[in-house]
Amino acid sequence: MNRLSPRRRGDWQAAVERLGFAFHTIEGDLYWDESVAYSFTLKEIEQDIEAPTGEIEALCLSFVDRALRDDAILTRLAIPPAHWDLLRQSWQRGDRNLYGRLDLAYDGTGPAKLLEYNADTPTALFEAAVVQWDWLEQAMEQRLISPGCDQFNSIHERLIEAFRQLWPTLPPRLHFAADLESAEDRGTVEYLRDCADQAGHETRLLSIEEIGLSTDGRFADGESEVISHLFKLYPWEWLFREAYGSALAGSDCRFVEPPWKAVLLNKGLLAYLWEMEPGHPNLLPTFFETDPAASALGRSHVRKPLYSREGANVSLVVDGEVRDSGGGPYGAEGFVLQDVARMPSFGGRYPVLGSWLVASQPCGLGIREDETPITKDSSRFVPHIIEL
Amino acid sequence: MKRSTQIGLGAVGIILVASGWSYFGGEDDQLVYTDAASCRADGRMSEAQCEQRFREARTAQARDAKRFPSQSSCETEFGQGRCDTIQVNGTPMWVPALAGIMLARRLAAGGGAAEPLFAPTRQACPPGGTAPECQPARSGTGSSGSGGGYAGRRAYSTTSGGTVTAGTGTTKVSVASRGGFGSTGRGGGYSSGS
Repeated sequence: MNRLSPRRRGDWQAAVERLGFAFHTIEGDLYWDESVAYSFTLKEIEQDIEAPTGEIEALCLSFVDRALRDDAILTRLAIPPAHWDLLRQSWQRGDRNLYGRLDLAYDGTGPAKLLEYNADTPTALFEAAVVQWDWLEQAMEQRLISPGCDQFNSIHERLIEAFRQLWPTLPPRLHFAADLESAEDRGTVEYLRDCADQAGHETRLLSIEEIGLSTDGRFADGESEVISHLFKLYPWEWLFREAYGSALAGSDCRFVEPPWKAVLLNKGLLAYLWEMEPGHPNLLPTFFETDPAASALGRSHVRKPLYSREGANVSLVVDGEVRDSGGGPYGAEGFVLQDVARMPSFGGRYPVLGSWLVASQPCGLGIREDETPITKDSSRFVPHIIEL
Repeated sequence: MKRSTQIGLGAVGIILVASGWSYFGGEDDQLVYTDAASCRADGRMSEAQCEQRFREARTAQARDAKRFPSQSSCETEFGQGRCDTIQVNGTPMWVPALAGIMLARRLAAGGGAAEPLFAPTRQACPPGGTAPECQPARSGTGSSGSGGGYAGRRAYSTTSGGTVTAGTGTTKVSVASRGGFGSTGRGGGYSSGS
């Protein structure tokens, strides 16, 4: 694994905008940065990224099965009891999942370590699936990198296939709901909708606030059409506690991601994975903060809220001192403490590898780089290549 | 190769427009059923009515469908396994097999004959094409909710040789309230992505 500094394409803004990538620059700061690219060997990708990702996913799915049979686990994960049946039914029915992203610490020398699993509303999808793919094609053509390179990235193809396979037959319509005022969320959901269209779905995009509740308890769109199947780029734990949360169970609606993913979006997952497979080379020792066993971590650890997004409320504690703390609104449900991963540093930059799963199959990589060891929403997305 | 072989964006709308297929989506649209069971499951007609409509469509198939002197000439146009044999004045002839029926929604409860639908012609759906309308129907039963008789968007041909694309069955409801989701995202400082 190496950090390269290829020349940017001369018209890079136009090149990414042509794809419909609206947020290459966020509030004046560069977000898409193709003056950096990480290179991997095929062996690094297949043995150190792809295989462990599949292994961790299998472990996660077995944890879902276990958690849904154990009220104590669901309680510890702070999932409201009113929704347990919804989760259990979606799991027993075999509701399929679409996608997820494992965040890994890896520098090419030791095993990749799981930092967290973004199982419910992972973003940075379009840049991984499409923007870096298009960059690779053009960068090889323009000899900015050596021709004949490859990329760990069949995300786009896998998404279309996964949309075909979500249900035995295509539903009357698959609705897509998100906060459409967020450029990033809109970009992500519009991309996924495009994939669903290509898979043959009838689709409609709506704002999450536009969802209505019918007199017979079903969700409806702005034209009062029943929402029978819904992709929501909106976290389960928010849906649970909002006004229509109590209507979820009786709505007869199928969701993507399915309700059972609520078990995996929770950082408490990391503590249970370690409990299930202590010493696993790809896991970091992690404990609930209230667990006496957490003392094993000593005075250095990363403190993460059970529910957290974009690095919010995550603190790095070294020798009892808080070194780097992301502010934010999370933490009411409790915290886990995770061993401090040896965060790979390349030229003062900290890359985090987002290892993508589509329909639980590892199929791609997207890298975000930050100037601090905690990836925040201010981090930059950089492409990667597999060198021959 | 570890990457996608090609990436098409926004492709579907273009396919529909470029092919000039008719598309039913309005209020007074057409109903399409692939078999009597899916017709019954949709709940608009009784079992007897559904069977009657399929009998009408078979009569129309024998009377109006394009006829071929051989199986192979029929299959050249409609695809392998998509032709039936009928007797015309004691002579065997080949016609496209019944793939479904179509009738106007407003006629569903009352009279009005059902029109037979056949597989799309090779001209409309070239072999190996990727248009979603042209993909073979998958097995399995309808999922939840309404429109159990529908299997997504599907291309068919009619007795007149035209191509139609069957839309999907959706249901309108009376909405009691709106805005019960979305408050957290608006609450300030929260991002739904991760």
